[in-house]
Amino acid sequence: MSLVNAELFKVRTTSLWWIMGIILIPLYAASVLINWAQASAGAPPADAGVSDSQSATIEAALEPINVATNLYTSGQYMGILVVLLLSAIIVTSEFFHLTATTTFLVTPRREAVILAKFGAAVIIGVIVWLFTTILNLIVVPLILNSLDVGGSQLGEPAVWRAIGLNALAFVLWAILGVGAGVLIRSQIAATLILGIVYVVGTSVISLIFYLLSEYVAEWINNLQVIIPTTASALMISGTDLPGSPPRWVGAVVLIGYAAVLGFFGTWLTKRRDIS
Amino acid sequence: MTAPGTDEIVVDRLTKQYKKLRAVDDLSFRVRSGRVTGFLGPNGAGKTTTLRMLLGLVTPTAGTATFGNQRYVDIKDPLREVGAVLEASSAHRGRTGRNHLRMICKAAGLPDTRADEVLELVGLTPAASRKFKGYSLGMKQRLGIAAAMLGNPRVLILDEPANGLDPEGIRWMRDLLKSLAAEGRTVLVSSHLLGEMQLLADDVVIVAAGKLIRQGPVDEVLGAMSGGASVRVRTPQAEALTAALSELNATVTATQDGVLLVHGAEAAAVGHAAFKAGVELHELSAERGDLEQVFLQLTAGKAGIR
Repeated sequence: MSLVNAELFKVRTTSLWWIMGIILIPLYAASVLINWAQASAGAPPADAGVSDSQSATIEAALEPINVATNLYTSGQYMGILVVLLLSAIIVTSEFFHLTATTTFLVTPRREAVILAKFGAAVIIGVIVWLFTTILNLIVVPLILNSLDVGGSQLGEPAVWRAIGLNALAFVLWAILGVGAGVLIRSQIAATLILGIVYVVGTSVISLIFYLLSEYVAEWINNLQVIIPTTASALMISGTDLPGSPPRWVGAVVLIGYAAVLGFFGTWLTKRRDIS
Repeated sequence: MTAPGTDEIVVDRLTKQYKKLRAVDDLSFRVRSGRVTGFLGPNGAGKTTTLRMLLGLVTPTAGTATFGNQRYVDIKDPLREVGAVLEASSAHRGRTGRNHLRMICKAAGLPDTRADEVLELVGLTPAASRKFKGYSLGMKQRLGIAAAMLGNPRVLILDEPANGLDPEGIRWMRDLLKSLAAEGRTVLVSSHLLGEMQLLADDVVIVAAGKLIRQGPVDEVLGAMSGGASVRVRTPQAEALTAALSELNATVTATQDGVLLVHGAEAAAVGHAAFKAGVELHELSAERGDLEQVFLQLTAGKAGIR
């Protein structure tokens, strides 16, 4: 526990945490506004050229309960990006600033250090989740009232389940970030690769999947869930939307990524020379 | 061989093979407590690799490096047993000196107050809340020594600690390390600053190209190489003095105009012989062997870039 405390102290005593905070706040505000705009835009007209399954998806997404869960988990996309980068930097900064030597001199059992970093990253993930969730609980009831979808929806178990699964997403992405940081020790490479894969990668891979399913086989589309971001979105979506695999598949995929990266990263750190 | 105590460093047949380079090659030596031991070698001799293997940061290809018979990674509270200063610049640029030390305290389970105590010890208290990036190289070295002293360890290991220190800083460090050794601690210092080592070290371990060249007390190593102590005499009557000294069974070598180096006789005996023979002397001094000379002799041809 003292090691987790030391890891959190490391984050607290550099300017990193408030830089990330400053980045997070406007991004959070933007995502609330986007979710609001989406919810108030309503369904497209029947002759807008959308396919049946697409319009079914859109209709389902516009049900009050889904609007509510979407709004109550606002900030997930950007919040997780911040947590992901912070978690990776917790590891890479040790090599970037040559503090790994000191760290491993104090604690020669390296698996204990990596474990502490996982712990610290999870705590940071929970803090960011708590921050966005508290703001959501304040702001979203006001928005829902203005949308006239039937009150704050806070009595619905599905809303609380979505908020809980949102926390799980933050935690899993934090673990993923630490694992990625161990694998990609270069600070610049790690942040760039994670950032790009997280933001751009999803749409690029979605496009590849779309093309594959169009020209090779329809079933390939179902594999989209192996993309971590898609899995994460699926896991927290309030009710099962038509055309998507069940929600637990998303959770399993994310836990799988976190576990594999975590174990492999720890194993690698244990056997590498620190020089 | 007696069983080593936990504060004795034992390096036994240690080898590190990188892809093409054998950085450390079957190296064995011991470092005793209560003395300052200089770990000398040209650049690239494998000093840093040896120290990193000793501290569990680099895995040896073969052999062991232990404290007593315990590996560093097996020591329960390593910071309370062994303190190490490896690189001067191994702290986060944006963190203050005090926070750097507190971070170590937290991870090692030491009270935060130790941070302020060691800052005082190394004279960094005025710069405690300044960020690391604003430190001079000398201040960074002091912070490194402060970090090593946090657990009040019995063994201290320092890699090139004199780098970047000004003359006053070097003298400060020499006094500190000598006093720590006088308290019975084990102090191992790697360096290539030979003049400094001659002033600081009691024992030396000399390596080149990853191999042990020589180890032992400084005086012994110097004596063995330069054939014992010598006396330097300057006189306008070199021939007369040489004749007078031949009765003492001393060997005399003329180096330059009027300067003789006398082996096998004390300075007082040389002076007395000159007085009896009525030879005029301009200079008479006992010469201690020069570590730099000996070092260059010992490592000649082995110091190249590998």
